[in-house]
Amino acid sequence: MDILGVLLGTGILFFCIPGVLGLLLAKKSVKVVPFLCLSLMITGSLLLLFFSGSVLWSGEVSHSSITMVWFEIPLFIDRLAAFFILCITIISIGVLIYSFGYLKHIPSALKRNFLVALMSFFILSMIFVVASEQMLSFLFFWEIMALASFFLVMFNYEEDDTKKAGLFYLVMTQLSTLFLLAAFLMIYNETGSLTITAWTGFTNPTILFLFLLLGFGTKAGVIPFHKWLPYAHPASPSPVSALMSGIMIKVALYGLLRFILLLPSQPLWWGLVILVLGTISALLGVIYALKEHDIKCLLAYHSIENIGIILIGIGLYLVFLFYGFEELAWVSFAAALFHTLNHALFKSLLFMSAGSVVTATQTKNIDKMGGLIKRMPFTAVFFLIGAVSIAGLPPFNGFVSEFMLFSVFFQSNVIASPIIKVILFLCLSLFAMTSTLAVACFVKVFGTVFLAHPRSSEAAEAKEASFSMAIGQAVLAFFCIVLGVFSFQIFGIVAQKTGVAIVLPDLLGFSIILGVLVIALFLAVRFLNPKNVRISETWGCGISSQNATMEYTASGFSEPIITIFSSIYRTKKTNQRTFHDEFGAVFKEGYAEITLLKFFEKYLYMPIVRVIQSISSVLYNLQNEVELDRDILFGFLTIVILLVIVGVAV
Amino acid sequence: MISFGIYAVLNITLVILAAPLYLSLIKKVKARIQRRRGPPLLQPYYTLCKLLKKEVVYSSTSSWIMRFAPSLNLACMLTATLFVPLVAVPAAFGGFGNIILFLYLLALAKFFMALGGLDAGSTFGGMGSSREMSISSIIEPVAIIVFAALAFVFHSMNFFEIFAMVSQTPLTQLNPSLLLMAISLFIVLITETARIPVDNPETHLELTMIHEAMLLEQSGRTLAMYELSAAIKQLLLMAILINIFMPGGILLQLTVSGVLIAVALFFLKSVALAIFIGIFESYFAKLRLFRLPSFLLIAFFLSLLIILLEVLA
Repeated sequence: MDILGVLLGTGILFFCIPGVLGLLLAKKSVKVVPFLCLSLMITGSLLLLFFSGSVLWSGEVSHSSITMVWFEIPLFIDRLAAFFILCITIISIGVLIYSFGYLKHIPSALKRNFLVALMSFFILSMIFVVASEQMLSFLFFWEIMALASFFLVMFNYEEDDTKKAGLFYLVMTQLSTLFLLAAFLMIYNETGSLTITAWTGFTNPTILFLFLLLGFGTKAGVIPFHKWLPYAHPASPSPVSALMSGIMIKVALYGLLRFILLLPSQPLWWGLVILVLGTISALLGVIYALKEHDIKCLLAYHSIENIGIILIGIGLYLVFLFYGFEELAWVSFAAALFHTLNHALFKSLLFMSAGSVVTATQTKNIDKMGGLIKRMPFTAVFFLIGAVSIAGLPPFNGFVSEFMLFSVFFQSNVIASPIIKVILFLCLSLFAMTSTLAVACFVKVFGTVFLAHPRSSEAAEAKEASFSMAIGQAVLAFFCIVLGVFSFQIFGIVAQKTGVAIVLPDLLGFSIILGVLVIALFLAVRFLNPKNVRISETWGCGISSQNATMEYTASGFSEPIITIFSSIYRTKKTNQRTFHDEFGAVFKEGYAEITLLKFFEKYLYMPIVRVIQSISSVLYNLQNEVELDRDILFGFLTIVILLVIVGVAV
Repeated sequence: MISFGIYAVLNITLVILAAPLYLSLIKKVKARIQRRRGPPLLQPYYTLCKLLKKEVVYSSTSSWIMRFAPSLNLACMLTATLFVPLVAVPAAFGGFGNIILFLYLLALAKFFMALGGLDAGSTFGGMGSSREMSISSIIEPVAIIVFAALAFVFHSMNFFEIFAMVSQTPLTQLNPSLLLMAISLFIVLITETARIPVDNPETHLELTMIHEAMLLEQSGRTLAMYELSAAIKQLLLMAILINIFMPGGILLQLTVSGVLIAVALFFLKSVALAIFIGIFESYFAKLRLFRLPSFLLIAFFLSLLIILLEVLA
């Protein structure tokens, strides 16, 4: 066994031990156990990080197998899989360090142990999904991933919201598995093999593609299959939200990429469908996020947006590949992958900072926070770094991947077909709108949560999160900055290793100039003539003192944007009045409210649910009405139908 | 080619020295049209000097964001200055000159400016930030589309290359769709510099102002920094307009006499543009906030038209 195999094996073992240990000692309130487990998992993540890093570096495909109890799981890790393992491990390290502090906020020992054990299963199953060589093991670990995450969503099972969220999530995730199962069966039917490898000769890849898209798309949270995200993320504990949003939905994208790329040919419309779905997800995701007040729900909508951006990259890749522009195709592919890593980093970071804020203020409603920059200075800085990154502002990492997509779009006039150009162009304009709306949204979030007066007594008494929580965030924040500032150099190495050159602006020189200017100016303002500075109440319209009720709220902040985009929000205004007299002149009482139509839930999800319900109620009635002759009739009919089918088939 | 170092010094000096002038020039034109005398041309310089000497008052609610945002804003604008050559096109250097990076640099400045507006917790600051971000969420996509159209026409994403290309092409052979683009870019300029009909830089009636409301809490030298960065931003956007749509005179080789002539030419063209902006402002009334999207969409559709023209040509 070579050194890489040892790394891989030990890494996985270090994840298995905490899982078993956590479950075995679940009822023991030994404080050491969860912390020992976390340390083991962090070590395991580091080992796997080295492993995936070396696979990425050398480009040699790692082909091995792991024996678990009595069956053998063949593993296949090429650069694509190694990249996703890299993402999983980096995020895991940050989140696990963060969990040290987070566990202290959980009073019950049982829950602490369960959280740790489930997290280890969750992370491990994601790694196995990515590394699987067989469809069977892929599906097996996909289900473990789904179940582990379901239990994690149900962590606070006492709350009613959580129950609803858990059920919603379970149904959606099983739906995704169902489509995948169908797709895998189709592949098996056509090729006679369960190995995930380059297949040849599909008679009808269209349905297969649709099944894969539905299956992976549901898990990734692509609009219109996105509804579970804004339910599941607020319900689950913050480290789990960070893992789910940061990497689990990316694992689904890995599946989509892997399977689509292995199919013999990718028609143009696949790329266009993915591109359009991505654009819609990106725009609607950010637009819904603007309206949201629950900080974790808002971040969940931003995950939908960013999944959309990644899909735009994948879609562009397929489109340009179809037309034979390999260079542009590779830039889009690299943009998709890089954005996967970037989003994993800043979204997990934001979820962790949000988790610190939620633990400190005991609320998820941003309109009840405020002024936290003074009470939680470190968390504020980390959140700000995450916000600047997710808003796609230079010189942080989010900018680089969005820049790559923009540069591909800007060169799309190489394609000859006018209609494709027009489609690409429309997608570009919507994508541009997405990225600017994200800036507005994070001004809103940061402004309401961290700036101005505290809006509730809890926010006024918030305490800074513990040291390990800060370190966990710092790790990811560090990568957010490094991957942005050194992007040019990093892609230089990528070009050396893979031969794919990507034209990027050198952000290092830019950042140095910008940084030096900022620091020089800041110091000049701070230290030149320091006596000329006074801290006092600024003008408040003659009101004796400013207070929290007078400041702008998150709803107020996003109101103009919402009014501008009101046609997308589908708001419903209700106006109910009762009058004293019949002429409608003297007003007794009344109320008016503006509610947001839950468009997808109302027009897409509920009709399906109703159809299923009506069918099942018919079946229920049939089964429960005990009439012998009718039952015999049904039995007879069934046999006849079966005979006919068998006869036709033979 | 001109070395980047010399270019940087030349460009930054020119921009810092000239930028405030155009603020008062536009004011002067407007005053003349209204039969007033208007402020002296050097008024913005006096104002900046005065503000630098004045006391800074920070709200007791505010945090380090309030102190940091003005510096970041000015630093962003100074860095942005390196992206837009006024009189001389340098050799390519790092990411400088990149269109998208330029736009996002402006967005970075705006992000922190809006946070600064929210920091003091006053209603006006919040209102200004909210409105500024709402408008920018419409105008920035438009700006990106305009620049995408530019990239479509010139097959380049770098201001240095585009400016050089324009100056080397004879006037008669330039793409006529540039004319449409000029209108779009002009609307972007008006919006980004908070001018009528989008915003009114002179009003101090709280409910109608957008950009100024955001800066209401600033005083002394931090206000001076904001004013200077606004002036720089305006000059940079003007320079883009000038060097693409009123080409000629931009230097590709450095000579002393060449610089003098180029500066003089640029000065003439920019004064003409500033006068035009002044006249334009005088003939419009400020639009209601929610009427703005349709105004901004004009720019969007014009640039869409250019791209369709390019696509179908």
